[in-house]
Amino acid sequence: MRRFIAVLVAAFIVASCTGSSPSPSSSAPSGAAGSSSPSGGGGGGWDPTSISGPAVLSGWQSSPAEGNALTQTLLGFQSTYPNIKVDYEPLAGDYPTVMATKFASGDVPDLFYVDASYAGTWIDQGYLAPLDDYIQKSGFDTSQFFPGYASIFKGADGKWYGFPKDGNTIAMAYNTDIVKDPPKTMDDLITLAQSLKGTNGLKAPLCLNPGLDRGLAFLFAQGGSLLSDDGKTETIDSDASKTAVQWYMDLFKNGLGMTASDMGDGWCGDSLGKKNAAIIFEGGWLDPSMVSTYPDVKYAWNVMPTGSSGSPVTISYTVSYSIGAQSKNKDEAFVLLSYLTGKEGMTKWTEGGVALPSRSDVPTPQGKDVLVSESSYAKPGSGFMPGYNDVQKAFQDAFTAQIQNKTFDAGPVVSATATAVTKALSQ
Amino acid sequence: MTVADPAGHSSRRSMRFSEALAGYGFVAVPMVLFLLLNVFAFFYAIYISVWKWNLIRGPVSFLGLQNYADVLSDPTFQKAVENSIYYTVIWVPLTMAVGLLLAVVVNQKIRGQTFFRAAFYFPAIASSAAITMLWIFMAAPDGLFNAVREGLGLAPLFSLFGFGPNQNWLGDYHTALDSIILLNVWTTSGTFMLLYLASLQSISHEVYEAAAVDGAGPWQAFWHITFPLLRPGHYYVATVAVIGALQVFDQAILAGGPNGDPNNALMFIVLYLYKTAFTDFNFSKAAAVGLVLFVIVFAATLLQRRVFGGEPAW
Repeated sequence: MRRFIAVLVAAFIVASCTGSSPSPSSSAPSGAAGSSSPSGGGGGGWDPTSISGPAVLSGWQSSPAEGNALTQTLLGFQSTYPNIKVDYEPLAGDYPTVMATKFASGDVPDLFYVDASYAGTWIDQGYLAPLDDYIQKSGFDTSQFFPGYASIFKGADGKWYGFPKDGNTIAMAYNTDIVKDPPKTMDDLITLAQSLKGTNGLKAPLCLNPGLDRGLAFLFAQGGSLLSDDGKTETIDSDASKTAVQWYMDLFKNGLGMTASDMGDGWCGDSLGKKNAAIIFEGGWLDPSMVSTYPDVKYAWNVMPTGSSGSPVTISYTVSYSIGAQSKNKDEAFVLLSYLTGKEGMTKWTEGGVALPSRSDVPTPQGKDVLVSESSYAKPGSGFMPGYNDVQKAFQDAFTAQIQNKTFDAGPVVSATATAVTKALSQ
Repeated sequence: MTVADPAGHSSRRSMRFSEALAGYGFVAVPMVLFLLLNVFAFFYAIYISVWKWNLIRGPVSFLGLQNYADVLSDPTFQKAVENSIYYTVIWVPLTMAVGLLLAVVVNQKIRGQTFFRAAFYFPAIASSAAITMLWIFMAAPDGLFNAVREGLGLAPLFSLFGFGPNQNWLGDYHTALDSIILLNVWTTSGTFMLLYLASLQSISHEVYEAAAVDGAGPWQAFWHITFPLLRPGHYYVATVAVIGALQVFDQAILAGGPNGDPNNALMFIVLYLYKTAFTDFNFSKAAAVGLVLFVIVFAATLLQRRVFGGEPAW
């Protein structure tokens, strides 16, 4: 019996190893996993109405409003393409973790959300299907996407691995009872903040984040930068960048700005809502939250103030719809993708008020004029370089240490960030 | 039945065989699960950790021990180990002491004994996510904790240590780790109380009676009888506590996110593993972290066996 069990165990282990791990020699060039060439077009012609079959669509769902807006958009798709049956399956839980299990098991949705922050990693590791053959066959117009959004989803090979489903820019939101004349420049912002300090029961005039997730917009505005124009070397250690970081840190030093956490709030939206701060820097996600949680607080948007760089600048965030390298219904998925990120689908989707259009030919949704006006010049706020998460972490850790130790020196922040950028670029 | 008859012998043998079959049948299901989820997963993790790993294609290129070198030389991982050890060294004795104190208290014949047992155990059965969220609100700059110490007039005492009236306990990297230690002392001491209570009740009354006859007071009885006789209890509680302490994760990610904010104060080994796997999508490096953690936990457990695990010395 003992021998029998030993044999059984051995057989089981061998079976598990051979079953789940391909041999090392099977490693293929990036992006080659799963065929990506369209099979349904036939002879170069592409007639989306002739394609029929199912398509599984997945993503996270941050609010009921988002679910409603997507349902409305999908109804529009269904009436245009009745032969493609869309099965919308939002994923609960931590999205990248759930998707990792799906990539590993091969059970991948046909079309799914990919956040800019990990898009580059997923492209490099070959989890997403390139779209260029489909773009060529279908003649899909990619020129209408704002470049700040679209650039994130192109691989190192220059191919498209997703289209931005929407976007958001960082702008200035201010309490209109307290701020009558919104600042146009960073100098105006300082003057205004100094006059508001200690008034109106404010804990601080500005709510600021101690990281690059907002700080990068200020860095750019004040003439600093993170990377050289070719993206190959760090420039955060330059005098201009160091001055810009020091300027941002001095907002904390002089009591003009405070983190949401130090005001006892979860994020700056709460600080604006609870009137702990008069001015915050957020994106369009602020609107639904203010309407539902702080309906009595009056606020308005204005573009990011212009700094010493002299030109208007801000940062933006985006998410794509992408097709998986292992997705089973790629043709159906591309028809759905081109509808959702095309003019008609995106118009329906952004009418829901959840996000801004990532295309310039889609009408501006109501109340989003300021945020959309920034789309043409906004630079990506994440996903624009490999390993950016570690860069952000290095900046934020060092920045937090400086403000909590009350030393307020940009030097260590800049050098820690420079080291992280150089390390990320070398990998 | 002194003479073995062949028929009876073989029937006994077949009975023993069928008994054995039934026995193996019963253990087969848990054994298969154990082999698959523990033994196989363990060896598979070792295998993954020496490759550059891709979720679709599996092994991409052989790295040897490179992942281990990367992990061990990463300052963030070193900080995670430092935090995990600090957490273990402070939290384990503190929680054991509070758990033992509660156990001794509720083991007395006092009115409302059942109520106190339930009350002290209550934080242990609440969801750790819910209780951590509660703690985050309590420890906020305008939270309950700051309000209470202000109300009790303790503010000057705290300002002596440099803590202002609006100290952000979880948001300040100087105090975040200690705040999480306190949270877990509160939530886990009830469980340790229960474990100690079981050990306490296994100590015979006769020993205490003999001690009382010899003139021992309650304090002496505790230090010379209760505490030494609880040695198997200490061993068990300490082992469970150290393993749990080295694997702390949920409170850290809820309070500080995957980066262990603020400034790595809440970066623990398991959180580093999670970040490596699901933020960086580097699964082979994450497997290497898991194996380093295994070595640390295994070494700590062996050490404890040497300290607490021997036969009682009396």
